[in-house]
Amino acid sequence: MLTRKALRSTIAAAALLATAACGSDNTDRSSSNSADAPSVALLTSGPVSDAGWHAGAYEGLQLIRDSLRFRVSHQQTRTPAEFDEAFISYAQAGYGLIFGHGFEYQDAATRVGPQFPNVTFVVSSGSRPGPNVVPLVFHLNEASYLAGMAAGAVTQSGIVGMVGGVEIPAAKGTFIAFEAGVKAVRSDAKLLETHTGDWYDVSAAKEATAAQLRQGADILIHNLDAASFGFFQAVREARKAGGDAWALGMNLDQNDVAPDVIVASAMIDLPAVFLSTAEAWEKGTLRGVARYAGLRAGVVDFVPNPAQEGVIPLDALERIDSAREAIIAGTLEVPRIEFVEEEAAADG
Amino acid sequence: MRRSPEIVRGLLVAVVGLAVTAVVAAALLALGGHSPGATFAALIAGAFGSWDRFVSFTLVRATPLLFTGLAVALAFRAHVWNIGAEGQLYAGALAGVAVALLLPTSAPLLLLPITLVAAAAAGALWAAGPAAMRTRFGVGEVITTLLLNFVALFLAQFLVQGPLQEPRRIFNQTDSIPEAAHLPALLPGTRLHVGFALAVAVALALWLYLARTPGGLRLRTVGASPRAARVSGRFRATPVVWAAFLTSGAIAGLAGWVQIAGVTHRMYEGLSPGWGYTAIAVALLARLNPLAVVVTAIVFGALSAGGGAMQRDAGVPEAWVRGIEALVILAVLATDRCWQLLAARGEGG
Repeated sequence: MLTRKALRSTIAAAALLATAACGSDNTDRSSSNSADAPSVALLTSGPVSDAGWHAGAYEGLQLIRDSLRFRVSHQQTRTPAEFDEAFISYAQAGYGLIFGHGFEYQDAATRVGPQFPNVTFVVSSGSRPGPNVVPLVFHLNEASYLAGMAAGAVTQSGIVGMVGGVEIPAAKGTFIAFEAGVKAVRSDAKLLETHTGDWYDVSAAKEATAAQLRQGADILIHNLDAASFGFFQAVREARKAGGDAWALGMNLDQNDVAPDVIVASAMIDLPAVFLSTAEAWEKGTLRGVARYAGLRAGVVDFVPNPAQEGVIPLDALERIDSAREAIIAGTLEVPRIEFVEEEAAADG
Repeated sequence: MRRSPEIVRGLLVAVVGLAVTAVVAAALLALGGHSPGATFAALIAGAFGSWDRFVSFTLVRATPLLFTGLAVALAFRAHVWNIGAEGQLYAGALAGVAVALLLPTSAPLLLLPITLVAAAAAGALWAAGPAAMRTRFGVGEVITTLLLNFVALFLAQFLVQGPLQEPRRIFNQTDSIPEAAHLPALLPGTRLHVGFALAVAVALALWLYLARTPGGLRLRTVGASPRAARVSGRFRATPVVWAAFLTSGAIAGLAGWVQIAGVTHRMYEGLSPGWGYTAIAVALLARLNPLAVVVTAIVFGALSAGGGAMQRDAGVPEAWVRGIEALVILAVLATDRCWQLLAARGEGG
């Protein structure tokens, strides 16, 4: 009796699912342009609402859709076991250019690449080029160095803070360069460094920031994703409590994220990098070598916050400008962590 | 007589639950501006769209859920509330990777079995602490197993940033394991690895053990009423509890290493998205029956494979996908509960 009733429910449920499945044929996809346009996909391992690393990539994808009229799609993956699956799915669905936004996608791209020779896989901060696998390396350390010079000029206490998420090479590289920048301006400065182990833990970032503020840091930089909201909040609360603390933005131009506490941002113009990469791919010039994006290419920069004009002394800004010129000219070498295995690389 | 209807019932509950969710989720999706039709089509196509999709995506995703689901089901049958499958999974993964990287052998026939044993042993070891605390001092294992999850997670973080970090010492991951430690493909040309077959074999073995052996009977007795088992005086409950803890931990340990040997070939910090916790839903939904766990694990695998396709093909953001997955779990549990009430009423009248 029970079984028969159950059977009936099953059939009803199956019918419902089938209806749902059939209903889709007539609906069109909101994120597509035309069906035969070139297709570009993006994988991120975090939310695109982080106002930083992932958000920038997602903006890049939208820029590709709007200015090149490509078909685009995005997936947020949760575990390394999903990376291959996502790459394969997009490749099978006809996507010709697939961005994996983070070094963690390197292995999967290397594994899947040979199966789809006509598809190009781009790995942000990747380390191993292949015939159709392109590491995209950002020299954010160059902008971070300039931010360090600003911090060295602004600090009164001589104590400068750095709050990181997970200690990955790309992030470590920015802190090493930042430290060098601080020391270039103020050789006796003391640097505090904390890694919370989590890109998204807002309260952990706030705690770590507050701890550095208590130790006397009066200008701090971060390398966090969504957790940066906690970082800025801690600095904001210190200011409200009468302290003279400042924050520096990182990864994207974050000057608008917390205009009341940020003096400047060390930024990558991720959307521009993504757009130029997609253009190179369309022209057929995106080859299997690493693609570098730094100050010289105009996609990495140090941008003071116009809302806090005057916090960074004018003479310091002048020194920063000349350092920028020196980096572009190649006369000033900023410390960095090299993580691309092969040497061959194209400046982009 | 009871067994096969139970499996059928488990399946039906899952299907009815999915249908209920479909209606609720469709309404929510429509309110959020996403097309319910396209979303569900993507979900189904992503999980079942082709034989390759089903085998390479759904079954691959089901494998860790199957192992951990079996681990939880076995423990729960013995009234051992092991919430620590996640930690035992990490312990197994770390042990397997460590052995695969450090053992100087490249013979697959040797290396693979050794790593599997190491992973199972590490999982069992991770469960041994809570087992000792419960049997010696009466400390509740819900707390101890849960807290050890975080210890395992931090241990994994430490090891991939320290002693087990890849040779260039740049990325927070281990070196790739030697090819000899890779689990071979189960079906050539697909991503499905032998680990899935191993998990199904474990399910069969557990089912046989529970249903057909004196040891299984003792375990079920302890689980049905620990007090009655004690006062009956026919056997001691402590060894049974120990066995449940250790076997459960061992199976969960296999989950972690099989994932690496079969899919990622490297240990990462964020190896598991919480399989050890999802496993509790997988096991409960299967009414702790090992054979039914095979079915529920595949349903959850399908749901997560379909979730990826929902993002890719229907443009539904990840937060929505997670919400819908949670809805499915809730709906299935609610359906199951209603069913039990109805069945109880039917039997009573």
